[in-house]
Amino acid sequence: MRAKRLAALAFVVLVIAALAVLPLFVKKDNIINLASLALLYVALASSWNILGGYAGQTNLGHAAFFGLGTLLTRFLWLGGWPLWAALLVGAVVPVILALIIGAPAFRLKGAYFAIGTLALAQVLNVTVANRWPMITSLPARYLATYRLMPRYYLFLAVAVLTVGVAYFLVKSRLGLGLMAVREEEDAAESLGVSGLRHKLLAFGVSAFLAGLAGGAFAFYHVGYYPQFPFSPAWTFDAVMATYIGGTGTIVGPIIGAVFYVIVKELLALKVVEAHLIIFGILFILVVLFLPGGLLEVWSKIRSALGGRAKSRKAALPAG
Amino acid sequence: MLAPIAQNLAFGILVGGLYGIAAVGLSLVFGVTRFLNVSHGELLMLGGYAGFWLYTLYHVDPFVGLPIVVLLMVVLGVILYKLLFAGMVKYPEETKVKNTLLVGFGLGLVLQNVALRLWTADDRGITTTYSSQVISLVGVRFPLVRVASFVIALVVLFALHQFLQRTYTGKAIRATVQDWEAATLMAIDVQKVYLLAFVLGTALAGMAGALVSVGYSIQPNMGLEWTLITLIVMVLGGLGSIMGTFVAGIILGVAQSLTSFWLGGAYRDIVALVLFLLVLILRPQGLFGAKEG
Amino acid sequence: MRGKVSMVIAVVLVLSTLLAACGPKATPTPVPQPTTPPAQPTTPPAQPTTAPTTAPAKPAPEFIEIGASIPLTGKYGSLGSQVKAGYDIAVEHINAAGGVYVKEYDKKIPLRLTVYDDESDPTKAVSKMETLFAEQKVVAYLGGAASDMHAATTAIAEKNKVPYLGVSFALYQIHQQGYKYLFSPFPKSPAQTRDVFEVLNTIPADQRPKKIAIFQEKTDWGVELGKMWTENAAKYGYDIVVHEEYTPRSTDFSAMILKAKAAGAEVLLTVPAPPDGLAMQKQMAELGWTPKFTLMIRAPENVSWTETLGKVGDYVTMFAGWHHGEKFPGVDKLNADHQAKFGRPADLLTGPAYACVQILADAIERAGTLDRDAIRDAIAATNMMTVIGPVTFNPDGTGNVLNPLSQWINGKLELVWPPEHATAPLAYPAVPFDQR
Repeated sequence: MRAKRLAALAFVVLVIAALAVLPLFVKKDNIINLASLALLYVALASSWNILGGYAGQTNLGHAAFFGLGTLLTRFLWLGGWPLWAALLVGAVVPVILALIIGAPAFRLKGAYFAIGTLALAQVLNVTVANRWPMITSLPARYLATYRLMPRYYLFLAVAVLTVGVAYFLVKSRLGLGLMAVREEEDAAESLGVSGLRHKLLAFGVSAFLAGLAGGAFAFYHVGYYPQFPFSPAWTFDAVMATYIGGTGTIVGPIIGAVFYVIVKELLALKVVEAHLIIFGILFILVVLFLPGGLLEVWSKIRSALGGRAKSRKAALPAG
Repeated sequence: MLAPIAQNLAFGILVGGLYGIAAVGLSLVFGVTRFLNVSHGELLMLGGYAGFWLYTLYHVDPFVGLPIVVLLMVVLGVILYKLLFAGMVKYPEETKVKNTLLVGFGLGLVLQNVALRLWTADDRGITTTYSSQVISLVGVRFPLVRVASFVIALVVLFALHQFLQRTYTGKAIRATVQDWEAATLMAIDVQKVYLLAFVLGTALAGMAGALVSVGYSIQPNMGLEWTLITLIVMVLGGLGSIMGTFVAGIILGVAQSLTSFWLGGAYRDIVALVLFLLVLILRPQGLFGAKEG
Repeated sequence: MRGKVSMVIAVVLVLSTLLAACGPKATPTPVPQPTTPPAQPTTPPAQPTTAPTTAPAKPAPEFIEIGASIPLTGKYGSLGSQVKAGYDIAVEHINAAGGVYVKEYDKKIPLRLTVYDDESDPTKAVSKMETLFAEQKVVAYLGGAASDMHAATTAIAEKNKVPYLGVSFALYQIHQQGYKYLFSPFPKSPAQTRDVFEVLNTIPADQRPKKIAIFQEKTDWGVELGKMWTENAAKYGYDIVVHEEYTPRSTDFSAMILKAKAAGAEVLLTVPAPPDGLAMQKQMAELGWTPKFTLMIRAPENVSWTETLGKVGDYVTMFAGWHHGEKFPGVDKLNADHQAKFGRPADLLTGPAYACVQILADAIERAGTLDRDAIRDAIAATNMMTVIGPVTFNPDGTGNVLNPLSQWINGKLELVWPPEHATAPLAYPAVPFDQR
């Protein structure tokens, strides 16, 4: 068992190392760009999954935290702050927002929580559109030194951090508490697990990581409306990527995000005219035939190969 | 000063009627089946194009064509349900919400882009010979087509209300809204009730779309916006209350109109959303919903 | 559990790198085949016979690669399709004549245009721009449509040092970033806000309107126009009696309309997106406010305006950058081909898009090479006649181009200003809605 764990750890290190040296071998900007976007979606989906998957709270306001991170980091960075400081502010402020709205929001159950958070994100969306209607595009002097490589590494770092935090959070006592709250909140409370405190913690961590991803996006993107990262489309993308991969697991959001970004882009490049129709149909087929997400393919292969029933069960998405 | 406010109020109420009827469809589907069909806005869009096609190709008056639109949407609803949603019935509620959200998302994408191929991305709408006619009442102008749309919405919803209150099938639907498992125990055919609710929701969305194409304009990517509005109105009204949802739509419309008037158009959505959030916090069951057990 | 985690990561990783690596290598779908085989230049240009240069070392490429990321779906889809039509027809025309003569290779080379759909999403547009650069190795970009899409794509052009020709955006702000590779042969906000008062001044003094209402969209372009209209109104001696702001996609404009009506405004200046413009015009009719003169940029620039509104849509004017009635060489041929393809003369954005390809071909020919910087310099030095008239560029990349005013009159889009191109006189004042 111990040897196996070591092998697994070595493998994860190998994967990260492979991603780290990717730009040294692939010199094409479009591929680095696509890999960057895939990593961004990994971060977005994994951070959403902490609250949405593990704590079972379908937060449809994720774009608010992503957008807030983007907004603050962009303005501070272009305003002359060092990047790290701008990123930090962009990650911390969403946590404050999450903690403020958390207590009243968690009084809402199920679909009400989902739609409430959606409305809240829309308030921010419209307010930002009103307050900052001007496009933020990088001036020529920034573009003269713009390189994709640092952006790629920042996305990689954020993605690794997000997945890592999710992993260790879930393995910890806190994570067990979260899942207990998800399954049966009243029972968990009676055992001394505070539902609200656990959910607030998950919300805060999720918001921090989303804000950080937003900051990386602000550093990456050359021109957009400040409102753009607040669009509900970002929330839906994160939710869809997580669901299609497999919710409530570590690997699900990763597979989902990669599927979501890369398959979609390949379709867009190959079948220019009808690519969204094909993607939509593909999406429906996955849901109809793999109700547990893409992760189910893996566990099906596993079970076909026989044995290891125990770990198969663990890999199946919850709920 | 008073006349412009009254005029604004009138416009707000008329817009709100459309929000209301669109949201009732979503509320019915979600309340009965717990399917969170996020392609509701796209179904609305299809209804709009159905009305538009009837008008431009066959010169059918949009109000006369309304039953045809509803019929077409019923057929579509049955097909979509059998093809995509019937299999979801067996899942527990959380999985049901999740998987229908996904299917709805994919479906919305497909419908949007099919509409784009069929009708291009241009904005379309129906302008009849009587479109500019107005009924003036103590200085307040009521555009004829908007009043007609509102009245039709009201009549249809009243009929629906009666159907749910009086008939056996209607009672079965309401029983399913309240308690899914108990309904099964009482020998209610859940699949049939689900199908009926879904088809009714689709038809209402299509009807709302046809009315939108008369009063406003339609385009392939209008779906998301309407899905958001109807979600909000659904929660505002409270599940399981047809008339409550309709009234909630009107409240939203009026709130937007009066905000535009007093604070300017830039704030209309913010005020409406904040109002919604307040209601959500203070009355989570919605303005007119029964308290959940 | 961990073993599984890492296995799946591995599979995903391998899969994704494979997909990413093999993906874009394939040829993109829209490859306009030259209708005639690239002909040799009929008369080889006077080669200095004395020049001892051996035959060009580099073999001539099969195509001159150009590319565009255009919003064909999503909220800007209707603009994007007009732009794409212009590019497609222009490339057909140039390739029918054998392509563009490039001195470096001493032969005519056909253009190959690759178009991708960016779904009206600036992030997807960036991806497409990078793919065009890395895979198609385009020598120049053509633009998409709408200001925020251009803001993203022009920045990538600047970063990759590839010349960029784009229309369908009037936002002036984009030109004030110091970009070197961006060129836009399209009227910009300063012209649009000045010329409307020039037009109003052509109305006899005793009939001339004085009171102006501005319905300002809360977007950068709306704010920019609102500010410049206000400045110019003061300069030209007009009164702004109502200046209201609204967010895009508001369904109900009755509050603003009633304020304008109460203030007795005679002129409406506004720049709504299509759904907003349609709703606004309908509600003006319903609320009984008929401005004598309406300038509505953007929303009415499509045939669906008059199809949707009928008589209610009449009398509205717009600065759309072009009109198919302009009397410049090549317009007839463009209209004929557009008519054959789409059943109507060329749309308002189709002409300027066509001109972009004309300008690019001319610049490549003058540059005599496919070097991007040389093409960029040649574009900057442009001085030529196109379907949108004579074009030259300012140092900030804005074009010196005609800014025609069009007007819907009896369901037909007429060119009403400047007078030398007019297909009909300005219809003024507008007949009240209830008397049409």
